[in-house]
Amino acid sequence: MRRVKRVLLWISIAALASFALLPLFWMFVTALKKEGMGLSTQIIPRGGFSELYTVKNFTAILGDPDFPFFQFLLNSTIVAASTALLSTAICFMSAYAFARKNFPGKELIYSLLMASMMVPGMIFMVPQFALVAEFGWINTWQALVIPHTANVFGIFLLRQAIERIPKSLFEAAAVDGASDWQTMFLVIMPLASPVLVTLLLLTFLGQWSNFLWQLIVNTPDSPWITLPVGISLFKGQYSIAWEKMMAASVISVLPVLLLFLFLQRYIISGLTQGGVKE
Amino acid sequence: MQTQAASNTKLRRFSAYLWLTPFLAVFAVFLAYPMAYSFIISLKKVTWQTNLYEVFSDMRWVGLQNYRELLTRADFWWSLIATFLYMLLTIPLGIFLSLLLATLLSENLPGSRFFRSALFLPNILDMLVIGLVWKLIYSPDGLLDTAFMKLGIEYFHAKGFLGDARTALAAVAVAMVLKGCGFGMVLFMTALKNISPNIFEAADLDGLTWWQKFWYIRVPLVKPVILFLTVTGILGCLNAFTEFYIMTEGNPVMLFAGETVGATRVSGYLLYTRFTEMNYGSAAALSYFLLIFALIISYINWRFLRERSV
Repeated sequence: MRRVKRVLLWISIAALASFALLPLFWMFVTALKKEGMGLSTQIIPRGGFSELYTVKNFTAILGDPDFPFFQFLLNSTIVAASTALLSTAICFMSAYAFARKNFPGKELIYSLLMASMMVPGMIFMVPQFALVAEFGWINTWQALVIPHTANVFGIFLLRQAIERIPKSLFEAAAVDGASDWQTMFLVIMPLASPVLVTLLLLTFLGQWSNFLWQLIVNTPDSPWITLPVGISLFKGQYSIAWEKMMAASVISVLPVLLLFLFLQRYIISGLTQGGVKE
Repeated sequence: MQTQAASNTKLRRFSAYLWLTPFLAVFAVFLAYPMAYSFIISLKKVTWQTNLYEVFSDMRWVGLQNYRELLTRADFWWSLIATFLYMLLTIPLGIFLSLLLATLLSENLPGSRFFRSALFLPNILDMLVIGLVWKLIYSPDGLLDTAFMKLGIEYFHAKGFLGDARTALAAVAVAMVLKGCGFGMVLFMTALKNISPNIFEAADLDGLTWWQKFWYIRVPLVKPVILFLTVTGILGCLNAFTEFYIMTEGNPVMLFAGETVGATRVSGYLLYTRFTEMNYGSAAALSYFLLIFALIISYINWRFLRERSV
């Protein structure tokens, strides 16, 4: 009886997991279909394997002169990586001050920053666009990166991490005459490295899939078109070439899959930090 | 000596601000100032006289006209209703599914670790890409339609799941619940781990069934996570844009209060629509309505949390 129950529970979780992974699976299958077969629901080819499947979609997509997906991939990587680095650096500096220094208005500034997390991001779209347009930043790297470096969640994450470090270590560093920078790099960085890695990863992933902002600050002829925008432009042009769209999607998803495969511990812990605070 | 020390402390206190400067500078320019700037834009309008090369400095003052105009438009009211329906479809279903998954995974079944990763993964995948795959799955002759046809259900064959005003919003909601449920699942797993096993032993002695334990023990003990997921869910729905952009573009059209509106044109998408029409004043006014809504939600949330801690 107990065995039967456990088998039933296992089947239900396996079924739910397959539903959640269905889009990913279908993306890979469709990306390998031959030209014009994108909508086909066939999985097992009637004749030989090559009747239904091919890898040509990937070579076609990467070599497309109108939609240079290799360039889009490069742009996405540069934008996401530089936002992650810059953002983590300035969050680290602020979190250090909040955790280790005393100054007038500290907790007031901190709670104002935290409160700003409750503001829906959509609200910033029009005024941020107006600013970026007035700065003449349309179609530039800085438009894609700078506005997203002030990440309040990053300060929250790092302040907690720094405050968990035993006070005695900071006192020892002070006795040895360590400067603020030395304390940051030699005391905090080794001990808080998992949190720093987490923040780098989360910022990278967030910007990798940040579609709306990348859509509005780039015109279609911009040299800074990123993958999600590139895919949506491609869809506008060839809305029935499903196998090619899925090949482009695979290119966009693969780096995320690799990061998740090797670093999921950091990603999951970071994303759930805000939810379970004691 | 005394004054030297005093000025030294002053200097040290001042130097703390230097550490905050890079962050606060970006925050002030791109987050704090835009909040106020958005209000100014919401009081102006782009007209045919506006110089298109300096749009934002050349808009005309119109006072509260943008707000008044929004309140008289059927598409504004429908966008609020659609957003609310979207919340009703995604949040309870998402919470239920996450809790169910977390409970199933806490049974120590073989392969639990794999299932945990597999269910969490869709959460971090690109929204646009996942939306695009669902559009393919939902299309006429797509995977789901083919499966339904085999079962003899032909209702969806003509327009697909996203082409029918009655099913489009629900179809998007199901896709997004499946994408997001792994996040809630991990939160619930952490919360469930903290429940003392004694409670379940007592429940077993009383002969409670699996479902009774689920509803009467697990659900009440994970209330804080439910509250958190509700608040973040509401904020997520107010921000919802990409999934609709790629899956429905706000369509299909339907009749509401005597006007044609996009069935899936939620408030975030309406904001974008106004933006692309260069109706910046109206878009900014709409965003202020959303802000007020978000503030009310966070106030209620704050009250809840305070009551709990008292």
